[in-house]
Amino acid sequence: MTGMISIARGNYSRRVKLFVILVSALALLSFVRIWSDVFDLTSRGTISAAIGLAVPIGLAGLGGLWSERSGVVNIGLDGMMILGTFGAGWLGWQHGPWMGLLGACLFGAAGALVFGLATITFGVDQIIAGTAMNILGVGFAQFFANLAFSKVPGGGETQSPSIPALPAFSVEQISDPLVAIHDKNIFIVSDLAGILSGFFYRLSILTILAATLFILTSYVLWRTSFGLRLRSVGENPKAADSLGVNVYRYKYIAVTMSGVLAGLGGAFLAIAASGVYREGQVAGRGFIGLATMIFGNWRPGGTAIGAGIFGYIDALQLRDSDGTSLRAMVLLGALILIGLAILAIKKNKYQTVFGLGLAGAVLVSWFLMTTALPKEVALVAPYLATLLVLAFASQRLRPPAADGVPYRKGEDR
Amino acid sequence: MIAVELSGIWKRFPGVIANSNINLIVEQASVHAIVGENGAGKSTLMKILYGMQKPDEGTIKVNGTTTVFSSPSDSIAAGIGMVHQHFMLADNLTVLENVILGSEPKRGLSIDFTKASNRIKEISDSYSLGLNPDDLVSELGVGDRQRVEILKVLYRGARILILDEPTAVLVPHEVDELFEALRGLKSEGITVMFISHKLDEVLAIADEITVIRKGTTVTTLNTKTQKVTAEELATLMVGSELPTPETRGSTVTNRVVLAVKNLRVESGQVKPHVDDVSFDIHAGEILGIAGVEGNGQSELVEALMGTKLSTGTIFLNGVDATNWSTRQKREAGVAYIPEDRSRQGLLLEAPLWENRMLGHQSQSPNSNGFLLTPKAAKADTQRIISEYDVRTPGLDVLASALSGGNQQKFIVGREMSGEPKLLIASHPTRGVDVGAQAAIWDHLRDARARGLAVLLISADLDELIGMSDSIKVLLRGRFVADADPKSVTPQELGNAMTGAKAVV
Repeated sequence: MTGMISIARGNYSRRVKLFVILVSALALLSFVRIWSDVFDLTSRGTISAAIGLAVPIGLAGLGGLWSERSGVVNIGLDGMMILGTFGAGWLGWQHGPWMGLLGACLFGAAGALVFGLATITFGVDQIIAGTAMNILGVGFAQFFANLAFSKVPGGGETQSPSIPALPAFSVEQISDPLVAIHDKNIFIVSDLAGILSGFFYRLSILTILAATLFILTSYVLWRTSFGLRLRSVGENPKAADSLGVNVYRYKYIAVTMSGVLAGLGGAFLAIAASGVYREGQVAGRGFIGLATMIFGNWRPGGTAIGAGIFGYIDALQLRDSDGTSLRAMVLLGALILIGLAILAIKKNKYQTVFGLGLAGAVLVSWFLMTTALPKEVALVAPYLATLLVLAFASQRLRPPAADGVPYRKGEDR
Repeated sequence: MIAVELSGIWKRFPGVIANSNINLIVEQASVHAIVGENGAGKSTLMKILYGMQKPDEGTIKVNGTTTVFSSPSDSIAAGIGMVHQHFMLADNLTVLENVILGSEPKRGLSIDFTKASNRIKEISDSYSLGLNPDDLVSELGVGDRQRVEILKVLYRGARILILDEPTAVLVPHEVDELFEALRGLKSEGITVMFISHKLDEVLAIADEITVIRKGTTVTTLNTKTQKVTAEELATLMVGSELPTPETRGSTVTNRVVLAVKNLRVESGQVKPHVDDVSFDIHAGEILGIAGVEGNGQSELVEALMGTKLSTGTIFLNGVDATNWSTRQKREAGVAYIPEDRSRQGLLLEAPLWENRMLGHQSQSPNSNGFLLTPKAAKADTQRIISEYDVRTPGLDVLASALSGGNQQKFIVGREMSGEPKLLIASHPTRGVDVGAQAAIWDHLRDARARGLAVLLISADLDELIGMSDSIKVLLRGRFVADADPKSVTPQELGNAMTGAKAVV
């Protein structure tokens, strides 16, 4: 029993740590909001938009997680997402959004099976096969969109007719009072209220489905024997094989699941976010999803947080007509850097302290010297943030040990 | 009771007969050793017994019943478990996850972690394996990992264990711990089949010993009823006397080849890996470094080769080489036998002749200064293969196709090419059989007589004492004692290595 107790204890201290981090993040955000006087930072609209922008990225990241946990690096996620948007558009405008959803899953899975055939059965380099998948996804969608949509009313060469909407939910009884608290402008309390209000406002059923899928993934991969076998295939396929685990089968299941999730991410873009299939609407979100998965250390919770951060910055950028929100983000970034510098002092890493401190100071002075950020900077902000966060996080990350290594049964190593 | 009976086993591969007419009887609740040279067919035989390969002829009886294994799951079902030489463990999973993988206890849809954890603790306690189910395998040492492998097969109900060269990866005190565990297993009625070529270890643990030579069983000896010596076993194995690592007379000159002063390798923690170490090695001298693995040997060697950051000074033949790159050191005549041949010594996926070029890619016969010269390199590879008796079908085969012992012989041959001035050798005979070991020792002695300076690191204390002109003991990154190889015994050295007692 001591084993279970020690597991529980480990979780306990991790939970405390997570709680401290969350509270300090909230305090920081609140502080920045008050100093920079940008009310929109934690408003219902921003959070609601952030959730909408985070979901497709998160789904792509979750897809990547499935695939990479089984040892297949899937940079073809973006292509599978594109296939998903096409599937959603094609079946969605004819047979309704639910069939569109199914279509997206099927098209994503079909792409994944092709990718799986190349990487798992034939042992093709996974990066090359993934790149091919991305090119294939774009080409396939362009060609068939032209065939399917150019001659129908409301459609065009690059766009489907509109897809009927899926239900979305608002719980005004909770959301509206929270907005009222947000408007009172109280340190931390208002911000917490504002953020929560976003979660009860115009929530697409797809968002709820995505959240469920994250929880299900955690359960299936970490609590069931199926999940243990799948992860063991990504860690040491030879060991798994020696214990009677069918390595190829688990890899195929994982990669197919990856395609289904990427396809769902595409479906969200086509059905929930815009209501049409449009060429180029994926805009590299598959890659961002992959980045959030790496940031999330190949774990569902971390992936969700990563997608949330990206979605949040993207939402601010979209809603930021005058550049003030992103100016506030500069301050937030500066404060985080300075905070990291203070933590590094404790560990006696003075070079790091100096580097972080200097970067923080530069950002603070940038914040003080400007009143608004130019639109060009705003557009790249989410990507810049992803890059920075990954650069800092990469030191503690640990991918599955056999990630990216083709498995050939019976080959001695 | 007879646990396993093999009779008339034949196994042929294209071009080779791996096993010919193998006959073997293993008593229940005994430790049965199978000894033979590298490539004698021990591993093939065990793979047949474990169901990884099918015999061409012959019968296998387990507990009196004739059985045919077509896959490892058949042999697992028959109660046979295999502990592989290269561990089959996922580092990032816990002990529990590694053990239950493939036969997980379930409660509903989930894994029953409580049940699994209790069962693992029960097995670990009853055979005193000392394992905690929640530890990550990556945090365990080599000895612990091996016990995880043993636990894994016991968990599956194995009553017959096959251990493939289990001591090859262990240091002396871990070997003792393993033997303790094996005795415990035996007393619980479990049969152990123990493959090895280390004769003293075999004599220390086995009840019966079967010798295999050139694919066939030569004889079976009983250590209880017969007086068996290592010399006898060696004669049976290779048909020759057991060689001893003797250097026969000093060739030490007063010309210093390597002078190291105040070498220090930081570890990032308070205690550095290598802490202010100074020493000289003269031409014709072999300096042995004794120490339990993990006391700074690897870091010392890597710092000398320039693959790890260090402070202090290194002089090669009187020239300051402190800031030289690894390539410069190589070109100045520093040869290097790394401790892990498959990770640092070879490109497993490259042919032998390309591996011949490694580390000497800028020198003759591999390069004319501008272009590589594969033709000359291939000719030289052929020379190494014949001089060092590397058993290989050819020089175009991948390095991964060679057995561990033959890979090691090839590396030694490569490093001794081109008259090196200094040889840094980490475990030069690890994993090679007695015959090849003797050949490597001969090559080292000849080179030493011609003026080669050698830094020798070895876990084999007999080798260290027999080969070295002087010995230093490394403990927690410092030299804690000097020993005179003429008078020191392995026991005294072993004590000094653990810090129990200093030797003079």
